[in-house]
Amino acid sequence: MLRLAWRNVWRNRRRSLINVAAMGFGLAAIMFGQSMMRSLQYQLIEKATGSFTGHVRVERRDIDEPKFPDKFMTDPEPAAKLLAADPRVLAWGRRIHLTGLISSPNKSLGALICAVEPEKEKIITDMATYIKQGHYLEPGTKGIVMGHKIAGRLDVRLGEKVVLMAQAADGSMGAEAFRLVGIHETGSESFDGQMVWVPLAAMQELLVRPGQANELAAKLYDIEQADAVAADIDAKIGPGNVGAMSWKLIDKEIIGIQAFQDGMLTIILGIVFAIVALGILNTQLMSLFERVREFGVLMAMGARPRWIVRLLIMESALLGLVGTALGLSVGSALIAHFGRAGLFLPVGDAFKYFLPFPSVIFLRPSWWMHSFACGTVFLVTLLATLPPALRAGRLKPSEALRHV
Amino acid sequence: MSKHLHAPLVQTHGVEKVYAAASKIAALKGVDLIVERGEFTALAGPSGSGKSTLLNIIGTLDRPTKGTVSYDGKVISTLDVDELSDFRLHALGFVFQSYNLIPVLTAAENAEYPLVLQGVEPAKRRKLSHEALKLVGLEHYAERRPDMLSGGQQQRVAVARAIIHRPSLILADEPTANLDSKTGAQLLDLMEDLNKDHGITFLFSSHDQAVLERARRVVRLQDGELKADEVRAR
Ligand SMILES: Nc1ncnc2c1ncn2[C@@H]1O[C@H](COP(=O)(O)OP(=O)(O)OP(=O)(O)O)[C@@H](O)[C@H]1O
Ligand SMILES: [Mg+2]
Repeated sequence: MLRLAWRNVWRNRRRSLINVAAMGFGLAAIMFGQSMMRSLQYQLIEKATGSFTGHVRVERRDIDEPKFPDKFMTDPEPAAKLLAADPRVLAWGRRIHLTGLISSPNKSLGALICAVEPEKEKIITDMATYIKQGHYLEPGTKGIVMGHKIAGRLDVRLGEKVVLMAQAADGSMGAEAFRLVGIHETGSESFDGQMVWVPLAAMQELLVRPGQANELAAKLYDIEQADAVAADIDAKIGPGNVGAMSWKLIDKEIIGIQAFQDGMLTIILGIVFAIVALGILNTQLMSLFERVREFGVLMAMGARPRWIVRLLIMESALLGLVGTALGLSVGSALIAHFGRAGLFLPVGDAFKYFLPFPSVIFLRPSWWMHSFACGTVFLVTLLATLPPALRAGRLKPSEALRHV
Repeated sequence: MSKHLHAPLVQTHGVEKVYAAASKIAALKGVDLIVERGEFTALAGPSGSGKSTLLNIIGTLDRPTKGTVSYDGKVISTLDVDELSDFRLHALGFVFQSYNLIPVLTAAENAEYPLVLQGVEPAKRRKLSHEALKLVGLEHYAERRPDMLSGGQQQRVAVARAIIHRPSLILADEPTANLDSKTGAQLLDLMEDLNKDHGITFLFSSHDQAVLERARRVVRLQDGELKADEVRAR
């Protein structure tokens, strides 16, 4: 039966090849789409959490915008100890965010000031890698790092001094001079044109907030554990106005993009599946019609109707296997190629305003999604065969034999 | 006296067939026919007289509207679809007017297919199909597919397929109608040999006088009724 089924599959070579090709390329396209979306999402998350957000944060619960918490934790140390003790945490650091005024001899601008612990921050985010002139912050100094755009607007060069002004804890205006030690270029308007980085200790001094911070940012060994770690830390901190949260609550727009893309993907998937199903249904109906007499012969020989149904399903399963195998190999090859070479997607510009984001996506396979696609294509092939197969099973031998 | 010992191979009793309830065409109007083991019998009659209909009903490919068909004294018209399939699988062989070989299988594979359906093991199948092809004189064509065989050769493969599982009866509806007279005569030679040397019972239809001459018994149908039943001394 297997032999007969296999030969029947290739009986109309052209039709079967068209079908297998449709299935294969449909599946490859699905896999490519899945991989592209997933890789884009992955890269987006990696960039967002890796350039600024971190994986898990400890902040006050009563802040307005968790990305830039504006209220201070008077004693972040208990939470800091929890982060330090958690083996899933790769690195963590204290930060202060606030808006302030930055002045050069020629100009004054508003800026987003990020005060960080330099040696820890180098691990938590990749900002240090974007330095194009000079070097990154060093602890215990009064250095400042900023984007090339804001430096241009202030008209300052490396080694020159700027003055930061911000409101101190007692309500007075604090001011301090910082020497420009590094200029970064990320390609992102927000980073290059609005943000400046200074060492935490200098900022605490300026604000008269010794030992205070408005967030603790942590990077984990595995981002997938962000929710779990955040929940554990949050539980250990206990009630109060300080809590821990994962990046998903901070970079909400990425989660939104992800949901949107997944929805699109599902629709495309459905369309491709429908095309494959209709193709198979059509082939099977045509081949059934052409072969009615042959089924009559098989029945006359003593094949039970159920046997004929099984034969047709087996033919379709073989066709499905060949198509799925083709799709799997073409899809994997595409993903592997663009995983090595990278895929140029002009989406970088869309995200660049907010994030340093490259326009080249390195595809990576998401096997769970791909196997789902393969399984569905195969299943759809089988399901599409059922109506014609069952119809063949209801043929009466004498009528089937009269069929021309 | 056991009924069994004397039961004929095939017996139809009052077989009627009405096609398509709407048109009320009575293709058979009460046919009583007995075929004994070892017969070499032809069904004759003009076109539309009901030859194919009767062969189909005897071959269990179709059910009579009325009446019964018995094999060895057992009524088979009451069997269900699967039981009928199994019955055909072991007891009957068919030869059709238009050969009806399976195009994707070679001559040997076509010939052995009933054994595949029976679940006979491959080595034994191969041996039997080789023997059957040898009987029909095609042992050198075993690996050819039907489209590489002439009509006469295809029909011989069909005969090999019909005899391979040693059925008790072979039904052939106009087996020579698509063949020229010489090839048709050769096919009849073959059938005759199989009948004489191997005791295989044949029931075949034809409206070709030359073919009917070869039969030992000729049953004539007219308008769905048996008109004549001649046994020839040859
Ligand atoms: N499936 C069918 N539906 C309706 N009528 C049918 C069907 N098959 C046969 N008939 C009718 O039944 C009658 C007998 O047909 P049948 O095919 O048995 O004749 P036949 O003797 O085999 O003729 P031929 O020599 O032309 O093959 C004819 O009148 C035919 O039109
Ligand atoms: Mg006929």
